[in-house]
Amino acid sequence: MQIHRVVRDLVTTKRNFWLASKSLRVVEDHRGNLEVALDPIGAKPGDFVVTIGVSAARIAAGNPKITTDLTIGGIIDHWDEARWHG
Amino acid sequence: MKICQVEGTLVATARIGGLQNRRLLVVKERGTSGKQVAVDPVGCKPGDWVIAVGSSAARDAAGSKDYPSDLTIVGIIDYWDDASGHAGAPARARADADPSRRA
Repeated sequence: MQIHRVVRDLVTTKRNFWLASKSLRVVEDHRGNLEVALDPIGAKPGDFVVTIGVSAARIAAGNPKITTDLTIGGIIDHWDEARWHG
Repeated sequence: MKICQVEGTLVATARIGGLQNRRLLVVKERGTSGKQVAVDPVGCKPGDWVIAVGSSAARDAAGSKDYPSDLTIVGIIDYWDDASGHAGAPARARADADPSRRA
């Protein structure tokens, strides 16, 4: 699992059937690389989150048929830039 | 499997139900600067060198095929000498080999 920060919402109206109506968020890692993660929790921009990758991401999405490779698993209570980069 | 050093626990109160109340640890993989988060079914302390499995084996290692983990700690390394990058001698043997420690 990795630590990401939520950047913003992502809206895709026309989408793959197996993405269902799941919320998507743009997240960034400590180097500023952007990725898109499925969000079953409701994280807000600026939140530090734990993201789950590979096949576990589909299970974390609540249904193994959901086509995702990155899912937000939890919102981190206490985290800051210094710990992120250090 | 990856060799990682434990940095500390990670508190995430708002989490998906599938993660249950398992302990999450911030770990640093050997030779890299990035931090990762691993599920800890073993019970590690900060500073411990551990081995962690990734991909779908991480789900099994966390206890069940339905557990959503992509990195799970499977063992604490008894002796690890990071300077040389390979498993070090047991602490007792090191003490014996060091002349200054001899009685």
